[in-house]
Amino acid sequence: MFQELFQFRELICRLFIRDFSAKYKQSLLGNLWSLVMPLAAIGTFVYLGRAGIINIQQTQMPYPLYALIGLSIWQIFATGLNSGANCLVGAGDLITKVSFPREVIIIASMAQSVLEFLVKFVLIVAFFLIFRFCPSWKIIFFPLMLLPLMFLTVGLSLILSLLNGVMRDTANVVSLLLMFLMFLTPVLYPIPVNNHLFFELNFLSPLINAPRDLIAFGHIRQPVLFFIASSLSILVFLVSWRIFHLAETKIPERL
Amino acid sequence: MSDIAIRCENTGKKFCKSLKKSVLYGGMDILCSTLGVIPDSGILRQDEFWAIENADFEIKRGESFGIIGPNGSGKTTLLKLLNGIFMPDRGKVTVEGKVGALIHVGAGFHPMLSGRENIYINGSIIGMSKREIDRKFKIIVEFADIGDFLDSPVKNYSSGMYVRLGFSIAVHSEPEVLLIDEILAVGDKEFQIKCYQRMNEIRKKGTTIILVSHNEYAVRENTSRCLYLDHGKQRFIGPSEEAISMYIKEAYEHRLEHEKDRSSFCAVKRKSAEIIGLKLLNNRGEQINFIETGAFLSMVIELNVHEKIDKPIVGVNFYNGDGLVYAANSYYEQVDISPFSAGKQIIHISIPQFHLPTGDYLCSVVVAQEQATNLVDWHDMSYKLIVGRAPNARGLLKLQTQWKF
Repeated sequence: MFQELFQFRELICRLFIRDFSAKYKQSLLGNLWSLVMPLAAIGTFVYLGRAGIINIQQTQMPYPLYALIGLSIWQIFATGLNSGANCLVGAGDLITKVSFPREVIIIASMAQSVLEFLVKFVLIVAFFLIFRFCPSWKIIFFPLMLLPLMFLTVGLSLILSLLNGVMRDTANVVSLLLMFLMFLTPVLYPIPVNNHLFFELNFLSPLINAPRDLIAFGHIRQPVLFFIASSLSILVFLVSWRIFHLAETKIPERL
Repeated sequence: MSDIAIRCENTGKKFCKSLKKSVLYGGMDILCSTLGVIPDSGILRQDEFWAIENADFEIKRGESFGIIGPNGSGKTTLLKLLNGIFMPDRGKVTVEGKVGALIHVGAGFHPMLSGRENIYINGSIIGMSKREIDRKFKIIVEFADIGDFLDSPVKNYSSGMYVRLGFSIAVHSEPEVLLIDEILAVGDKEFQIKCYQRMNEIRKKGTTIILVSHNEYAVRENTSRCLYLDHGKQRFIGPSEEAISMYIKEAYEHRLEHEKDRSSFCAVKRKSAEIIGLKLLNNRGEQINFIETGAFLSMVIELNVHEKIDKPIVGVNFYNGDGLVYAANSYYEQVDISPFSAGKQIIHISIPQFHLPTGDYLCSVVVAQEQATNLVDWHDMSYKLIVGRAPNARGLLKLQTQWKF
């Protein structure tokens, strides 16, 4: 399976470049669009916090920065899953007419959301300067810390895109669930001190908190949880890939 | 390497008519294969049918092979099985070598991107490396001949240009097996000819070509063997000419049946005469549906006359894709046919040198009374005739010539 993917790396690149260069072809803001959503969300939360409607606990770094990093990481997962679930159906034209490993499409779509993250990272750096926040030097390990989340995203995308190929409801359910999941995961707020069991059971939270902690403190506060969550993610990825491989032959005729 | 490029062993593929059931079955199949249970795919469940029932054939390396059959007979499904897009539900498909498919030209073309960008995308989709595309880029562009449009978005292309570009990429990817599905019809004549030439060139280099087309003439000219499919069943496999003859004959019978239905439907207004059929014969009196241009053709029209017709008019029209090409018509040729009396009536029309250009023709038979527009009965485009190249001739026609030195 790995060998097959390696063989088709060029196709992955091409599809990625294609989607990337076509995405904002007829738009004015282009890639800046991926900054609009986080800025709007953070603006709203800052306002809600100031107005006293919600009570956000003290964070280790300026709140807007904290929220931006959290949201950017979250969106690797969210946009990756959203487009991942849709991508097999979206590429139906291709799938029913040309034969190639179908994983290629999902990986190319994942690359898209990673790229969006890189655009947001520019904004994060800008925020560092604005808020005069100096991140720990360990920030160089930051990309490494994101890997488990990416594995999880690809893994879930593989399964969901299959399901979506058979039942189109899947994509709608996914985008709905993601919306609620974001509020149930410590993305825009830190884990509450007195009510942390639920957030510890949500194994997305260490995946998002750990990379952010790394920037804030230079160390991870819950290494065990992060390790468990990472292992789970990789397990999800491997199992889904296997299932995808078994089922992909049934997909073209359902599209 | 064996000299067999493609082998289908008792291959079957089933589809489901009902969308809801197909969702259910799809889900079940995926679940089963996930759990490692191999479902018995040889059995039809409710609402399922065999799109391909028992394809069983071998195609040699470097052979050009045609697949013909009426719409919905499973031709494209068979191509998709050969291409590995579909997995057979029973039997086995073995294809040796890199497959280039023109099931849909320009798969993966992105409408917003330029032709140049799309060459790279489509090229890598059909399995070319970047270096290979770089190397062939010029030839591809030259062959496609799309001029200044190379750098404008593909969405501005005409459908012909789209096909040109797609075909050009596919034939230059140097596949070992090339599958072509009814796509050349979109391009203009000049480009079609260029394509067939190119196809022959790569076939000589050892590429196996599989051509699916409704253009029987093109199939006959460009393939040596044919598979005739009907409703997923393999009806005949063998020399192209025989396969095409059989297909045309059966299509004709089907058509006649249909025509009968129509006549009984129109029976409200009782007709004074009824066409039984048209027979096309060669100089030996054998019934044919293939003729070399310039050869002898005789047409026999059988009629069943119910009431006496005083001034009958009889005509046979030949149509190709461009419209009416030729009509043998007693009215325009000012032939006074003697009145028909009730009973069976037979009319012979013979053409010593049938000089229509090569290609596919559909024939209509008309019987009218007094005026060409006052129709009594007609069989609309119910008969097929393929005109092929004459021996010792080049081009579409053979004309009588006189030489002086």
